[in-house]
Amino acid sequence: MIKVKNLKRYYGSGSTTVKALNGVSFEINKGEFVAIMGASGSGKTTILRILALLDDATSGEYTIRGLKVSSLPEAERSYYRLTQVGYVFQDYALINEMTAAENVYILSMMEGKSKKESYKVALEALEKVGLKDKHDRIPDELSGGEKQRVAIARAIAKKPDIMFADEPCANLDTRNSEQVLDVFKDLNDNYGQTIVMVTHEPWHVKYVDRVITFKDGVMVGDEWVEDR
Amino acid sequence: MIDDIRVGVLIASSSIKRGNKKTLLFIVFVLSLIFMNLVFLPSMIGGMTVLFTGIMQDYPYGDIVIEPTGDNTYINNADNVLQKVRAVEGVRAATKRLDVGASIEHKQNVVGVTITGVIPTEEYEISQYPYIIKEGDFLGELSRDEIIIGSIISGTSTTFGEIYDDLGETRVGSLVDVTYSNGVKRTYKVKGIMEGNFELVDLNAMVHYKEIEDVYGLDKGKATSVVVRIDEPGTEDEMKAKIREAGVNEQVFTWADKSETLIRQALQSLGAIDVMSKFVGLIVGAALILIIIYINILNRKKEIGILKAVGITPRSIVLSYAFLSMFYVSLGIFAGLILYLSLMFYFQANPVVFYETMEIRPQIDVMLVIQSIVTMLTLSVIAGTLPAWSVSKESILKAIWGR
Repeated sequence: MIKVKNLKRYYGSGSTTVKALNGVSFEINKGEFVAIMGASGSGKTTILRILALLDDATSGEYTIRGLKVSSLPEAERSYYRLTQVGYVFQDYALINEMTAAENVYILSMMEGKSKKESYKVALEALEKVGLKDKHDRIPDELSGGEKQRVAIARAIAKKPDIMFADEPCANLDTRNSEQVLDVFKDLNDNYGQTIVMVTHEPWHVKYVDRVITFKDGVMVGDEWVEDR
Repeated sequence: MIDDIRVGVLIASSSIKRGNKKTLLFIVFVLSLIFMNLVFLPSMIGGMTVLFTGIMQDYPYGDIVIEPTGDNTYINNADNVLQKVRAVEGVRAATKRLDVGASIEHKQNVVGVTITGVIPTEEYEISQYPYIIKEGDFLGELSRDEIIIGSIISGTSTTFGEIYDDLGETRVGSLVDVTYSNGVKRTYKVKGIMEGNFELVDLNAMVHYKEIEDVYGLDKGKATSVVVRIDEPGTEDEMKAKIREAGVNEQVFTWADKSETLIRQALQSLGAIDVMSKFVGLIVGAALILIIIYINILNRKKEIGILKAVGITPRSIVLSYAFLSMFYVSLGIFAGLILYLSLMFYFQANPVVFYETMEIRPQIDVMLVIQSIVTMLTLSVIAGTLPAWSVSKESILKAIWGR
């Protein structure tokens, strides 16, 4: 489903060049729940942003379902982000002035659905993450875990091919982290959702199928988790 | 495009509903002051213009003035003209006047003036002359050896005292010698001193109409002007046409026609100030609106980045800020209008006083108000669109990081 070939991402130039990614290649298949792990500065967030079309690679290519998304023009990238990709940010990235439902259904409206239809989709997504009863709350009225679950609802409401999550539990305590990871596991197990999650917590491994490990911008490990 | 508009409206409306109310109030307050800046000074200048033109009506020209044709010094059949004019429907009053040049002397002080011969009883309905006598009394029907002089000539003007030559503290009862332009000399007793705080009035003198007729040996019925007041202000042009239709063949002018030539320079100066104030107001207003909206948008840079990251189109984002900006500006205009009208009503009741007696009441110029509203709304669209467009073109990650 995802094919990454010799992907590089350099920042700066000359002697100050930082090689955030230095020739990374891998494949991810449909329905996999993959964790990308590594120490801080290993390049794991960089690869996720590139895959989610939030950033550009310096060189190399990557395709999603055979489409060379790296070379799409901005308007198509925007449409691709809207319809094919879900992204869960580390700091939730919700719009503070919108309710949980509005944060979710704005994307359905953007896709052309009516407000009523979009609202229904949002409620279904919020139900999946256990927050249907808090649909009218604004982010400031929710806990960190609840905010992250709203962000997940936003990502899954449009039924994306792939969901990317950038350290989704970084700002959460263990209990809230477990709730969020349970939501991911449920989506993966019961809906076949492909999920690529960046994390540095070893105990998250028990939720995923596969762990790809990065170090200093290169991939140093790719293992299947057997006792999930 | 419709989806972009719907999403833009959703973003803007949620921002308005749940945004910081104190910030909203502050923005609206500043925008209301910008609106005030656009309309208040021009309204004051409008008030000054009305004051000046009002003086023209109240003293030399009435609403309509009839003057001799061609090179003639006099209207030869003024009584006939008066009869025709008074018969016109809508004419409230009319009188004839005789203006002549003369010099006045008192205790070796000599001042050149225009002396107007008036029919005193008729002036009460025509002009403000009888009502601005600050010392003594206005002329009466039998006032043949009496004169009214302006306060500047008398040397008692508190407003223009230092600027013009005067007769040196002439008082009511003083005797002055008048030498008319034809060489005839007469001595008059000062019956009253008039003060309108306007040079055109305070530099003049006034005697009985018959006195001028006598001095110049004029046949009955000659006049240098016939001054007309009408029932309905604002219908001067219509009345001018009616007077002509009534068979008056002399030159007929409205007060505006005459004022235009007489105080054209003053009005042009005021007009120049007016244009400059509008221009400066517009530049300042545009800059302030841009700054306010731009800062507002910069504070929402992260939000723009998030919206882009989840797939909201830049067009929706730009539209949402255009809507938001228009909403702020509309509220600002509304608040500004309330503030402006309150001030207008206040100054109507408590006019700004210049030279102790000149009361300036600001004028509401509806066209200017409409122009200012349209201008501010146009600026709001630009102010909302440009910065949002600029931020939406930035890299998603930079916007989210707020760089």
